[in-house]
Amino acid sequence: MLALLCLGALCAWWLDLTPSGLIPREGGVRLAGQFFARAFTPAWDYETTPPDGTPPLVLKALEGARRTVVFAAAGMSLALVFGVVLGFLGSSAWWPQRVRSSGVGPMVWIIARSIMVAMRSVHELLWAVLFLAAFGLNSFTAVVAIALPYGGTLAKIFSEMIDEAPRDSAVALRQLGASGTQTFLLGLLPRALPDMWAYAFYRFECAIRSSAVLGFFGFETLGYSIKQSFENLQYGEVWLYLWTLFGLVVMVELWAASARKRFVA
Amino acid sequence: MTTQMHKQLSLQELKQRRPRERLVQLTLLLLALLTVYAWTCGDIHVDDLDLARRAQNLERFVHDDLAPYSLRGQEHTWTDVGAWAWNIAVSRGLEGALQTLAMATVAITLSAIVAFLLLWCAARTSATSHPYGDGRGSESMAWRVLRLSTTALFVYLRAIPEYIWAFLLVAMLGPSAWPLILALAIHNSGILGRLGAETVENLPPRPLLALRSLGATRTHIALFAATPGFLSRFLLYVFYRYETCVREATVLGMLGIASLGYWIEDVRTKRYYDEMVLLVAMGALLVLCVDLLSAWVRRRLRHSS
Repeated sequence: MLALLCLGALCAWWLDLTPSGLIPREGGVRLAGQFFARAFTPAWDYETTPPDGTPPLVLKALEGARRTVVFAAAGMSLALVFGVVLGFLGSSAWWPQRVRSSGVGPMVWIIARSIMVAMRSVHELLWAVLFLAAFGLNSFTAVVAIALPYGGTLAKIFSEMIDEAPRDSAVALRQLGASGTQTFLLGLLPRALPDMWAYAFYRFECAIRSSAVLGFFGFETLGYSIKQSFENLQYGEVWLYLWTLFGLVVMVELWAASARKRFVA
Repeated sequence: MTTQMHKQLSLQELKQRRPRERLVQLTLLLLALLTVYAWTCGDIHVDDLDLARRAQNLERFVHDDLAPYSLRGQEHTWTDVGAWAWNIAVSRGLEGALQTLAMATVAITLSAIVAFLLLWCAARTSATSHPYGDGRGSESMAWRVLRLSTTALFVYLRAIPEYIWAFLLVAMLGPSAWPLILALAIHNSGILGRLGAETVENLPPRPLLALRSLGATRTHIALFAATPGFLSRFLLYVFYRYETCVREATVLGMLGIASLGYWIEDVRTKRYYDEMVLLVAMGALLVLCVDLLSAWVRRRLRHSS
């Protein structure tokens, strides 16, 4: 703990951080004042007259929230596929002794593990930036940008959960003469499944946050509207979007927490 | 025959008696429906998967954009490419990576401090009228309000993503390292605060209660009895969040703060995609190194606790 504090102080010194940097310049103070003044009085209608035919602001915020969830759900479903396939291949319990000693198993295991690491190490926004450059702006870019890093993380955690699941039922099935696949699917997997579900649900919550942020790169989620309204100095609108996002995340978090208690118990 | 009947019956009975949870079933159903809806509602355009055009784009990207600019249109060997990559890595990547690490370290230190100070107000065992008791007895309104508001604060802090905090703070503070650090610290103190409060709640209450009945104050108990008990667990979480901090710090630089992300955004706007891919790879390498480091530290912490 002390070492951490020292390291933090050292880094702060190296970065030339001074508390005076915390005090914004005059323009910044005014901006902050104007911005935070609207925190508890978000706008319920557009602050400037919109062109004819635009839906009311509240509906726009809800539409943004819906899109955020849609991208998160699509990304997560793809991530689950990656996660399950790679997680199985990357867990050592999946490979029977015979294959493990023949050399094919370890090869696939190493490949699966390296793919996981590569997927996981690149942040979702960086994936988005790469895909934007390679494919241009389209909805699949956002979905895949979420799916790749999340798939890698899910795969890592899934493989650990499978390997750490209690082995007693698997051993019992094995001794009754079940084949390797049967043992894995019926003996080992059900023991790890509740944890896996709970973790995947937690990641879904994170995916919603990521999907909102992807809006800053031109996908039409909540982040898109936040960026636009902030740059137009319409702080009331920004706060409406922020509170919408907050509500969305808290709702999913409460849902996840109550479901998790029952999954795992 | 009779034994078979018996067996069938008991299997059926077993099936009926298997543990079922309404909420879990409902959750799974809802999530499945949500997934189907997400793919079919029309926001994700299936015709975007027009493979011929995408493939064309990709080919242009790989062949034209990814070749090192200085070597484009001439014969080059892998040594030349290596020299080009080395040049960029040393001129920008290395500094960016070090800056990223430093900012993430400051941020995680700050959020550990904030979380450590606040979590006593959020833990159910410490923030009551009768700390570390059995939960019975009257509870004053003030404690309940304090506890709930701290918990709500943690929820608020972590519900808004770092990127959005940073985006707002850059506009107010200007492009120094502070907005990035504060954004990371805000989000992570929310997370560490909750995890830390849970850890305090899970501490064995008896020794703490004994101290209390001997007349120790709340601060005494927190500092000299509870902290040693939960510190290694708390540090475990800190290092787990440190990994995420480094990941995020890389990306937050894209808002114009001098971490690795700054250089990525810089070459992205110039459309030097060759350099961009190299820098993204450097970012991934940095994250990987920190992952390994943190895994090692956490294993040591777990053994020592």
